[in-house]
Amino acid sequence: MISETLIVEKGVSAGDPWVTVDAPKVHEALAALKTEGYTLLVFLSCVDHLVDASRSWPARYEVVYQLRNMETREQLRLRTFIEGDPPHIDSVHDVFPPANWDERETYDMFGIVFDGHPELTRILMPDDWVGYPLRRDYPVGGEPVEFSEEHEMWQTAPDKA
Amino acid sequence: MTDTISRGVTVDRTGEAGAFGGELLTINFGPHHPSTHGVLRLIVDLDGEQVRRLKPVIGYLHTGIEKQMEALRWQQGVTVTDRHDYLSPPINNLAYALAVEKLMGVEVPPRANALRVIMSELTRLSSHLVWMGTSGLELGAMSMLMYCFRERDTILDMNEEISGFRMHTSYIRPGGVMADSTPRFLEMLDQFCRDMPGHVDEYEALLTNNPIWRSRTIGIGILSAEDAKVLGATGPMLRGSGVAWDLRRSMPYSGYENYDFEIATSDMCDCYGRYLVRIKEMRESIKILRQALDRLPDGPVNVDDRKMLPPPREELETSMEAVIHHFKLFTEGYSVPPGDVYVAVESGRGENGCYIASDGTHKPRRVKFRSASFVNLQALERMALNHFLADMVAIIGTADTVLGDCDR
Repeated sequence: MISETLIVEKGVSAGDPWVTVDAPKVHEALAALKTEGYTLLVFLSCVDHLVDASRSWPARYEVVYQLRNMETREQLRLRTFIEGDPPHIDSVHDVFPPANWDERETYDMFGIVFDGHPELTRILMPDDWVGYPLRRDYPVGGEPVEFSEEHEMWQTAPDKA
Repeated sequence: MTDTISRGVTVDRTGEAGAFGGELLTINFGPHHPSTHGVLRLIVDLDGEQVRRLKPVIGYLHTGIEKQMEALRWQQGVTVTDRHDYLSPPINNLAYALAVEKLMGVEVPPRANALRVIMSELTRLSSHLVWMGTSGLELGAMSMLMYCFRERDTILDMNEEISGFRMHTSYIRPGGVMADSTPRFLEMLDQFCRDMPGHVDEYEALLTNNPIWRSRTIGIGILSAEDAKVLGATGPMLRGSGVAWDLRRSMPYSGYENYDFEIATSDMCDCYGRYLVRIKEMRESIKILRQALDRLPDGPVNVDDRKMLPPPREELETSMEAVIHHFKLFTEGYSVPPGDVYVAVESGRGENGCYIASDGTHKPRRVKFRSASFVNLQALERMALNHFLADMVAIIGTADTVLGDCDR
């Protein structure tokens, strides 16, 4: 396990072990975990905790890295919390190459800027898209629906969302 | 000159850019190309006919599935999971159902687990059949499509018999399965397990020693085991490079540890190796189906929890409590305890996982699908470099990406 100085908090959620680290230390922590055998970054994503009354969160965006040790089959989830507009975090594509597209997707969907990423562009949405669809304040009916009876109710332009 | 395409993955870019006076020719391949298995655009830099640089552009099939999941109640989300990897709906259902069950701390009965395994393996077979039929078609083996779709249709008939739907079954749900298997389904499955090994022999007779198929696939699209691991490839892409990693065996779920089967691997690391892996996997799937059918336990197929699944129809006429449960479930739905969880299952393409964060309400806070196609597609450049453009079709084919799965 990585040195205790990096870990802010640790625990188990529904059987999955996780650790929390400070956002500026993410790159260092992931590189350390990789040398300890967690060689596969299964996925990287984000959770938006806007208006979540169930718990108190340190910040709005939680970036999640799911790691796996292919030898011992242990899994570990590394979490970190960031705030800001846009929120910034270090890219880890140089530690885990598959993170390249995952970071682009997270930028595309949540507007999180991964510093040091070689080409941080939209990957799933069109290049000229406005807004970040998976943020919780982006409405589900954000795309205008033509011929809809509830046209006014449905339609919220992404820039007003 | 060697060039690093990502940390630890280097490619050899030596060769003469002779055909165009030292210039590379950039062409657009797709998005609507019949060989891209969906809507995939590739920007390819060519030196003569050889690929020197390749950049996949995805997102054409993005349907906002993860956003939709946040607007749907837990039990409604199942129908959406069917639709991202549209060649293996029950496996997607399974990943979602297992994740929800893990968060709620629910164990499904043994019969439900066996039915889940049966549906997963049937889906794996039908997914591999589509792969083999279309890949054969692209490389000139036209008859493969007819043979493969004939058996796939039998599987779709079985889907219809057990769930009422041929493709988007929504059969596997949190808490169990939609309904118990019918006697006719079990008969069909029994007949299928008898016939299918002979059919796989037919496919092998058509392809395995076919000189055209061999010359189009052997030595094409080499992905070494180290590169496959570094690039995070899973499924037949990883096993085709000789790494025995199969989630059904490495991290078992739904009782896969009780079945006797082998992990199909091949040390060839090329398109032919991936083909051999899929053929072997089909044979192993038939073995698993036969075992599951022979040992199918009796009993309920759903958890006995009225807070999660609706009461049987006949109870509604006699029990006020059942009516209340029914009403609550179909208006508000059930809520899942706060927390987050990741569950991975092995689909025909590799690791399809489901990450769920719950805030304790009746709708998920965040659902993320980890799709094998999305990760495996990143290895395409590594495999296609310095090959001819025509070979790229074989490489895209054997990577077996489903773009709906990739773009979600």
